[in-house]
Amino acid sequence: MIKIIKESFDLENEFKKISSKKNGAYSFFLGTVRSDLSFSNNEIKGIYLECYEELAISQLEKIRLQALKKWDLSECLIIHRIGRLNLGEKIVLVITSSSHRSNSIEACEYVIDSLKIDVAFWKFHLLDNEEKEMVYQKNKDNKKMLKWREIIN
Amino acid sequence: MNITIKYFSWIRVKLKKSHDLIELNETISLKELKNNLISKDPIFIEIFKDDSVKYFLNLKELNDDDRILNDGDVLAFLPPVTGG
Repeated sequence: MIKIIKESFDLENEFKKISSKKNGAYSFFLGTVRSDLSFSNNEIKGIYLECYEELAISQLEKIRLQALKKWDLSECLIIHRIGRLNLGEKIVLVITSSSHRSNSIEACEYVIDSLKIDVAFWKFHLLDNEEKEMVYQKNKDNKKMLKWREIIN
Repeated sequence: MNITIKYFSWIRVKLKKSHDLIELNETISLKELKNNLISKDPIFIEIFKDDSVKYFLNLKELNDDDRILNDGDVLAFLPPVTGG
């Protein structure tokens, strides 16, 4: 289950959608907008998320299918929001479910790490006066992804 | 023939537009299209010089500048992504 949406989502409702008696483990990752400083050292007001939706959906589906197969998951749910988000708001949700915890935990980490490097979303900091400042990809995220590629391939 | 080009992130900001519809009389390679765009706007020199920019043709990554583009193709210029 993959969704790219503007509006917020409810954790319990999303959990219910993939809940099943055959699962013994669910792992959640919830990413939120944190308070941060801009390059000019001012507090950001929020973030703006841009997306190439058709491409992002196909990229997320590929990551989801890899995770389902590699970690023998019963389900993998990914929700990513786009548009303008205030500090503290939910950005992204990943839920993985499996019989045992180790699979769901590792798969959940793989999905969010992959999403940060391989899916067509772009983040901007929102500053005063409606200005936007681009957020750059982090080297540490790229390095971590290289390790995942060895595991998944 | 028509080719749509989609721009994202800093490329969209720099060009002040999210897409272009390019009308052509004959087929063209990606390399020729790049030269065509540079001749219209030198900003494209900076875009094409940046090795981190990826090109997607009809939702598939494109790594071949000699690839011939066809009528109805959708090309996208993607800077490094930063979601999550």
